[in-house]
Amino acid sequence: MSNNPYGKVAFYPGCALDGLGKSYEVSFSLIAKDLGLEYERLNDYNCCGALEVKNVNTMAGLLLPARNLSLARQVNANTIMSACPGCHYSLSRAQYYMVKYPKVREKVNAYLEKMGEKPYDLSLLTIHAVEFIYNTVGPEGLKAKVKRPLKGLKVAPYYGCLYNRPKPYTLTGYLRIKDDPERPHFMDELLEAIGAEVVPFEAKTMCCGGPHVYSDNEVSLHLEARILREARKNGAELLITDCPLGHVAIETNMNKIAEKYGEDLRMGVVYFTQLIAFALGHSPEEVMLTANLTNPMSVLKRYL
Amino acid sequence: MPIPESEKPIIKGVIQKEKVIVDGVEVDGTWNAFLIERTQTGYDPSVWDEIANTLEGVTISACWQCGTCTSGCTMREYDDNFSPRRFIDLARKGDKQALAELQDSLWRCVSCQKCTHRCPKGVLVEEVVHAIHNYALKHGLVKKDPGTIFDELFLETVMKNGGRITELSLASAAAKAGMVTFSLRDLLTMAGPILKSGIYKDLLKPAKIKNWDKIKQVLEEAMKEEVVPE
Repeated sequence: MSNNPYGKVAFYPGCALDGLGKSYEVSFSLIAKDLGLEYERLNDYNCCGALEVKNVNTMAGLLLPARNLSLARQVNANTIMSACPGCHYSLSRAQYYMVKYPKVREKVNAYLEKMGEKPYDLSLLTIHAVEFIYNTVGPEGLKAKVKRPLKGLKVAPYYGCLYNRPKPYTLTGYLRIKDDPERPHFMDELLEAIGAEVVPFEAKTMCCGGPHVYSDNEVSLHLEARILREARKNGAELLITDCPLGHVAIETNMNKIAEKYGEDLRMGVVYFTQLIAFALGHSPEEVMLTANLTNPMSVLKRYL
Repeated sequence: MPIPESEKPIIKGVIQKEKVIVDGVEVDGTWNAFLIERTQTGYDPSVWDEIANTLEGVTISACWQCGTCTSGCTMREYDDNFSPRRFIDLARKGDKQALAELQDSLWRCVSCQKCTHRCPKGVLVEEVVHAIHNYALKHGLVKKDPGTIFDELFLETVMKNGGRITELSLASAAAKAGMVTFSLRDLLTMAGPILKSGIYKDLLKPAKIKNWDKIKQVLEEAMKEEVVPE
């Protein structure tokens, strides 16, 4: 890594990347290899608690992510990177509460020790995979390695809610290496670097209804339809995601959305790492583009 | 004298009596019209205290009721009664009655974090809304809602599945609770790529954490702990 503001980076995969989001991790590791990104994967991680556990039990909502923070420190990492914004949020949240409330910190650390882990020393920076690529290799470095420029491909980058929100946890707007708090552009620039055309897209950080995708399904469908409509309206051919929650929610709901809100909303949904890895010359099978439920290859086959 | 038509909306809830005697003198006309009691009573100041004493709710006191949270709220567009600003107002006043009436709205926050992100006073609004909802649940002001049921299923799945979740375990738990239905077409769309790519192996058999049994035990113990913001 020629330019690395992060020191040693630990990679927190999170449950999603070991499940339906496997294509996300596979493509991410392909990129990392091609671009020379170094990180250590935390293999013994546990669920971060996402947006659900914290509502049921305060202590569990802190202890689950705190154990992962402790794991990252045990491999002497300075930064913990998540590919899932939900995990990024959850880890940042635990860090926030542990920094702010000394007694809470003591309690959490006492339980960590009981689990056989080291107490967490609050020294990590929490980042998302988009920031990691942007601030190390950067768009210029990426551009130099592109073997299959995606010229003329119109894409809408969907960052989701938790990539840069809320700023008290994620520190967007407080640090120079963090993205813009209201109008993120890191992923836009990475996608432009591989030759794609980023369409104007106001739904970049709009909510997909994630945590209530099952419990308040009607609202989720409507929100997802709005994201897709915004992308379609601006001429996007693919929706590019950096969030496995949003990605899976939109993909699994696509049939219902198309039935309810119009067939024209049917659109390929691709992880940004998949698209970058594809542009770096990897085959659709390697990048697992065939695993996407929305068949993005119907658009991408013209670049083969 | 009857109340003029144009003034009626202003003085809603007027009691007009046939015959009123004040200090031995019979009064009539506008003098025998009374406003009904409009002072709301029964506020419970302990509501604010209790919420401010939770880790999630501690920032409730910093709110200055500007409404920035509500003006950008995702859920607001779908539910007119969903107003973080109002929830905070009612909780601070301790108006349990009004909170109870909001039972179909209180739980519907989708955690998009716009409110917390934008609050000019540093109130962690999303957290406070959940703290208020948790208060209402704990004190039986509202019934258990689908959101909470799902959250509990999520935690249960984490504990049962060796510290991690899979979409499959979560979706089947949600389906069992009757929250979600997949049509045959949905299942077919999903099955193809999942089988072809081999992802099904990971879905069926999530990897376990090495020390899970011990960690689970500590977690169960920790979950009994009450956390206060200090």
